[in-house]
Amino acid sequence: MKPELFFKFVSISFQKQVTYRFDCFVGIVNGFLYVFIFTSLWKALYSQFDTTVHNGFTLTAIVTYAVLVMAVRISFTMDDSIIYRKVMDGSIAMELVRPTSFFFMNLAENVGHSLFHTMARTFPIVIISLFLFDISIPFEPVRLLAFLFSFFAGYILISMLNFAAGLLAFWFVEIFPFMLFKYALFTFFSGGIVPIDFFPEFLKPVVNFLPFQYMLYFPTVILTGRVPLAEVHSIIISQLMWILIMGVICSLMWGAGKKKLVIQGG
Amino acid sequence: MQHDNIAIEVTDLRKEFKVSLSGKGFLGKLQALFHRSNKVITAVNDIDFKIRRGEFVGYVGENGAGKSTTIKMLTGILVPTSGTAAVNGIVPYKDRKKNAAKIGVVFGQRTQLWWDLPVRESFDLLRVIFRVSRSDFDRQMEKLEKALGLRPLLEMPVRKLSLGQRMRCDIAAALIHNPPVLFLDEPTIGLDVLAKQSVRNFLSEINRTVGTTIILTTHDMNDIEQLCKRLIILEEGKIMFDGETELLKQKFIHEKVIEVEFYENDCVMQEISGVTVVREQGCKKWLTFDKDNFGIGDVIGTIASQYKIKDISVKEPSVESIIRNIYDNRIKLSTPSNKSFTK
Repeated sequence: MKPELFFKFVSISFQKQVTYRFDCFVGIVNGFLYVFIFTSLWKALYSQFDTTVHNGFTLTAIVTYAVLVMAVRISFTMDDSIIYRKVMDGSIAMELVRPTSFFFMNLAENVGHSLFHTMARTFPIVIISLFLFDISIPFEPVRLLAFLFSFFAGYILISMLNFAAGLLAFWFVEIFPFMLFKYALFTFFSGGIVPIDFFPEFLKPVVNFLPFQYMLYFPTVILTGRVPLAEVHSIIISQLMWILIMGVICSLMWGAGKKKLVIQGG
Repeated sequence: MQHDNIAIEVTDLRKEFKVSLSGKGFLGKLQALFHRSNKVITAVNDIDFKIRRGEFVGYVGENGAGKSTTIKMLTGILVPTSGTAAVNGIVPYKDRKKNAAKIGVVFGQRTQLWWDLPVRESFDLLRVIFRVSRSDFDRQMEKLEKALGLRPLLEMPVRKLSLGQRMRCDIAAALIHNPPVLFLDEPTIGLDVLAKQSVRNFLSEINRTVGTTIILTTHDMNDIEQLCKRLIILEEGKIMFDGETELLKQKFIHEKVIEVEFYENDCVMQEISGVTVVREQGCKKWLTFDKDNFGIGDVIGTIASQYKIKDISVKEPSVESIIRNIYDNRIKLSTPSNKSFTK
């Protein structure tokens, strides 16, 4: 797909979001509420113990993590129901008669969505949080660059996850309950609620076997400074490997799903 | 070998759908949750046809006959269960994107325009999608704007268009890249008489002047009669008839209908050999006769010499009535001429 076309679709998707102003306002409040709840929870928890460091996190570190992981999560907001809604109403037919890649069309739509949420929600929430909470982010240009790289890799991974999950609609048509399950799985195993470091030992092999931690946890801890710069490259390599694996899964599913597709409504 | 003058080639094309059957009512549905029986429906049943470049083909059949399923396989949306298809020498379900670049598609009940964008922006987006150069685009748009009367619509958002307006825009959208093959799936659905006529005129013109190959599915037999030189009739996934529309008419034109109205005192008509009364309504009778064995003059002469006629007219069967008869299985396509015309 030509970059010009990709960005055109990004811009259309972005503009579509802008029209829902009320939605955006509620989104900011909602996002901030989450940040407030999580930081309060951590503060309350930490005040119960005499030790100040838990699983390698000081109170400042854990509050920083809670704010930033929420910020990244909001930036990663995408409509994971796009594909299955198109299958359910049959409008996917009109997309398949265009000489464009279905995956990249979908990605462009997601990017437009995320771009809007980053500008309208992530930035305000981070800025407010910087004033309200005790947050420490190490300002190293290399780290910032590494974070951006890891952030985009995580974004591509989550797009692929949503794409693959959405393709299940080719087989089952109604997959909304599954998408809820996927969301719960993602939120927990990506470190969206509690950092992976706090997970019990028996869950760690499971976490390491799944791609979720590379979507939120690692980009976030690269930014907070928890990961030494020397280890950053191995994280990014793992992310790229997962992108490769997910890419293979997506294209296998796409190949098999095409044969199963039924256009609803004639 | 692919011949250059073949636009579409379909061999043993088949598409099956699995339909799960669930029982009736609450208990039946509950049971279906655990055990479900599947039924395979053959939407398209091993069909073959070839369409040459520049042909205008009507692809008709009752609801569920498999028309749309065929079109969807030829446009790369659906993958056939078995058999092969090639459009412009490209296999659509293998090279979807390559195929899509060389075809235009209109699905009457869907739109490929962007709901929230003005028509002009939708067109411009399609220009980028189909990689049409600015100068080619401007030339094509000028033609389309004029022929389809789009100028007043260009600044309107698509969601505000009426069905007829939207359809005209959708037809234009399908032609922005000037494709050699155009698929139209019920493009005149819901249009008023005037809009229908302008769409027909336009289609006939691009077929004639540009040489665009057009495959049209429709339920409107006027579309067929006015546009399609060739007709493919589908029933339950199989091709029932494939040939010239004119040929179909000639084949069944044996059944010319004479509509006679007699004066009151001559209302009762004796049987005439070779002539069948198909309908009666008071003193009005509809008669059919075998065109091969009787001249129309003979039949009218015979009647006129015996009875006093108030009014008489001769009607040829329309394509619509022929197709309706085919659907109703009243005409067996394999043996159309050996019919008895006496009761």
